[in-house]
Amino acid sequence: MKRRDFLKGCLVSGAAASLCAPSKSWAVGSFEGYPDSMGVLVDTTRCIGCRSCEAACNKEQKLPEPDVPFDDTSVFKEKRRTTEKAYTVVNRYEANDAQKPPYRKMQCNHCNEPGCLTSCFVNAYTKTKEGAVIYNAEVCVGCRTCMVACPFNIPAYSYSSAISPIIKKCIFCYHTRLKFGKPPACVEICPQEALTFGLRSDLIKMGHERIRETPDRYVDHIYGEKEMGGTSWLYLSRVSAEQIGLDTTLGNEPIISNVKDFLGMVPMVLTIWPALFTGIHLLATRNKNHGDVHDNHSEQEDGKK
Amino acid sequence: MKKLIASGTQSVDSLQKSHGRNWTLMEKLFLGLTLPQYVGQALRNPLNWIFAIIFAVGIPIILGRFFFGLSWVTHSSNDYPWGLFLGFGLFGMVPLSSSGFLLGTSCVVFGRHDLEPMERLGLLNGLLGYFFAVVYLLIDLGQPWRLPFPMVVSFGPAAVLFLVAWHVSTYLSVQIAEVSTSFFEWIGFPIGIRAIRKITLGLTVSGIILSTLHQGALGALFTYAPGKVHPLWYSSSYQWIHFFVSSIPGGLCMVITVSTIASKTMSWRFDKRFKESLDRITISLAKGASMGLATYLTIKLMSIAHDNKWAYFATGWGEWYLVEIFIGVILPMFMLAYAIHHKNMAIIRFGALLVVIGIFLNRLNVALITFNWKLPYREIPHWREFIVTLTVYALYIVVYRFILYRLPILYEWRVEKEFAPAYVTETESTPLRLAVAYAAETESTALENSDTATS
Amino acid sequence: MQNNRFWLASGMAVLLFAAVPESSRGISVPDTITLNSQSKLYEPFKFDHAKHIILTKECSYCHHHTTGTLEQDSNCVRCHRNSSETKVVSCKGCHRTDSFSAVSMKEKDPKTYHLDKPSLKAAMHRNCISCHEKMKGPIGCQDCHHRTKEGDALYNSGVFAPKKKTAKGGHGAH
Repeated sequence: MKRRDFLKGCLVSGAAASLCAPSKSWAVGSFEGYPDSMGVLVDTTRCIGCRSCEAACNKEQKLPEPDVPFDDTSVFKEKRRTTEKAYTVVNRYEANDAQKPPYRKMQCNHCNEPGCLTSCFVNAYTKTKEGAVIYNAEVCVGCRTCMVACPFNIPAYSYSSAISPIIKKCIFCYHTRLKFGKPPACVEICPQEALTFGLRSDLIKMGHERIRETPDRYVDHIYGEKEMGGTSWLYLSRVSAEQIGLDTTLGNEPIISNVKDFLGMVPMVLTIWPALFTGIHLLATRNKNHGDVHDNHSEQEDGKK
Repeated sequence: MKKLIASGTQSVDSLQKSHGRNWTLMEKLFLGLTLPQYVGQALRNPLNWIFAIIFAVGIPIILGRFFFGLSWVTHSSNDYPWGLFLGFGLFGMVPLSSSGFLLGTSCVVFGRHDLEPMERLGLLNGLLGYFFAVVYLLIDLGQPWRLPFPMVVSFGPAAVLFLVAWHVSTYLSVQIAEVSTSFFEWIGFPIGIRAIRKITLGLTVSGIILSTLHQGALGALFTYAPGKVHPLWYSSSYQWIHFFVSSIPGGLCMVITVSTIASKTMSWRFDKRFKESLDRITISLAKGASMGLATYLTIKLMSIAHDNKWAYFATGWGEWYLVEIFIGVILPMFMLAYAIHHKNMAIIRFGALLVVIGIFLNRLNVALITFNWKLPYREIPHWREFIVTLTVYALYIVVYRFILYRLPILYEWRVEKEFAPAYVTETESTPLRLAVAYAAETESTALENSDTATS
Repeated sequence: MQNNRFWLASGMAVLLFAAVPESSRGISVPDTITLNSQSKLYEPFKFDHAKHIILTKECSYCHHHTTGTLEQDSNCVRCHRNSSETKVVSCKGCHRTDSFSAVSMKEKDPKTYHLDKPSLKAAMHRNCISCHEKMKGPIGCQDCHHRTKEGDALYNSGVFAPKKKTAKGGHGAH
């Protein structure tokens, strides 16, 4: 039972009259993710910045030709982000001591309660039971609210397309691999196994085990275990999360928690306002002079038709 | 136009030209002028030349946007998905268009018939503001055929934007219905007037609901981005209230501003009733706006206190926040309060203009300027984005002016008692005719309410 | 710390432990091993095992607790202090090539201690690269294995390098 279903229910119940939206069952509670959700544990201590994952992703998702070859390390001079042409990018960060600089792969984190999904007004996004956050480009209107809603700045937009610009982001290789139990292309190609594929619940245990066994190798934190309500992609690091460009100020509440104050208010307005204002109208106009200037209609206001 | 009026040209303000002859549609469109007269007055207006230049540059760019994609007119930033079209066009135009529901509510629901001369301007301002917000949206999305998707193809009812889409589109229809009375009067279509009048109260109440929700929803959209909107402009609990409450003074002050511009540029179109009540109504609206500003300021401070964000005032962002609040809220609030007391119209009108600017500044701050405050760079929109935004706004002004020149917004459509049956072509003793006759008899200023007389 | 990086690769050796330790030693120590014979992206190459034996001198440095001196890693020692040498010495004897395939995921016994065992590719890369970094050995991909044409295509490198010089880079990031 998911919270967004509850909120959906709130909205639907109130808005059904005017919106004719499909009704769904709901219940209160927080969504911890599907039990069989898969995930990837990104061990940034293992990443050597070879960019093989970027190459594999490019071919698997049939993305356009890159600007520079995938073995060109000059791209590390600047911090890149995911774009319509690259669903995953590796960035190099500064080391705070003599050790070699850490790298971090960036892609969709496949949240348990994705902000993109909750913000999408055409319901293009789906969180599959395998854990992938996929989307149906056919219904995408191009409003880009999901880009605003994504706390990790992942979804990109094909701005260059005049006819059918749509959202572009990592889909966990759902259609070609994950659906069939196979790991995504980036995981498969990683020479270092910096990316470990498995059940999300197992990966969390595995991550904590790695930290426990080699505490001097890791900061004692798995980024994504709780952040933003939990993500399918999890990160281990030798340095603090913010040093490898992960936002640590996001908190553990999913995006939907910020919106629920408003969404909860909607059915109240829809049900109370009509009665309230009609009542005020009757109070303000019945058997009473109309304002200061014109008072010639008082007898006409004999109730509503 | 003023000169033409002075030289004895008759302006269209009723169905009959004179001696029982009705105005033709062309005559109505040309404001009762001959074609050379009309073209002549249009060419004499320097504003039209400025518009011509803007359109000459801007319209090709707008067309180019549809051929070359959004990346041609914007920096196509993935970090700043919403640029000027939405930041200014949608988030800025919509709050300033709350006038429709505010004046509708005051007149119809609260029975404030003293505000009626301004009601139609309020409704029209609302309609056009929403309509052009949708125009901005269309230019931004660039796929007009996909716009109805949330209504017919795929539903995401748990999303705030779903609410905005449904409510803005429904409300747009409501406003078209509300404004259509003026159009029906102008075109001479009494059945329409009667039909709309019957549902006026329903339309107005649904306008309140829809406005409360989508004005708030536009704010709530930003609660999806708690890490991106600067904390001073962000509040999980109050964001929608901020947007809703600020839209109240925003809409009222927009009407004051528009009526001020109209009184400077097209006072020939005012009738006696509008001219005489303008100052009085402006003061009433300013009273409402100053109360709204006070409420807005209180809630703004409350949300800062609620999340204990005082420390941000020590940063550059805090100074910018104070600038916005000072220009858009505190200064106009005191100006309005002072001017209402002293009945100083100039200060009221200037204060109202400040509020309008303050609303734009606030929405731009939330959507663009302080958005992604954690990122190292700030997005400066592409020059083409500025031009497209300006062009659409110019188009908005032109359409606004076109309608104000013609439809009975700033003046009352004259319905002479003896002429009334001439255009009521329905079966005799229709309720409307009675209503019209009654209204004319009692020199009613409130046509909107005469429907109930007959029911 | 130096030994720590190998603990992960300690494998399922304990399960495969056979009671003939003497016989496992010195039976056949290959001088060269052809690696990467399965790969499509890189050509197979001959690993100079003999040279590495001379350089390292200590078998257990790579072959954790299968041959050479007893395990030193404190994490491994907890169980493997007295473990004898195993019959299986080669890397691929324990490290699977398909550790994330649906089959191997299903076969994984959740009760196994060494659940977090890297695949053959990862075990070798991590072992080789970390030591090469320390010993100033070659660490570039093509220093050990040459990329095939297919590999060049995947990396858009060599003859497949992007030709157009796009002044405007990826959208978004400035």
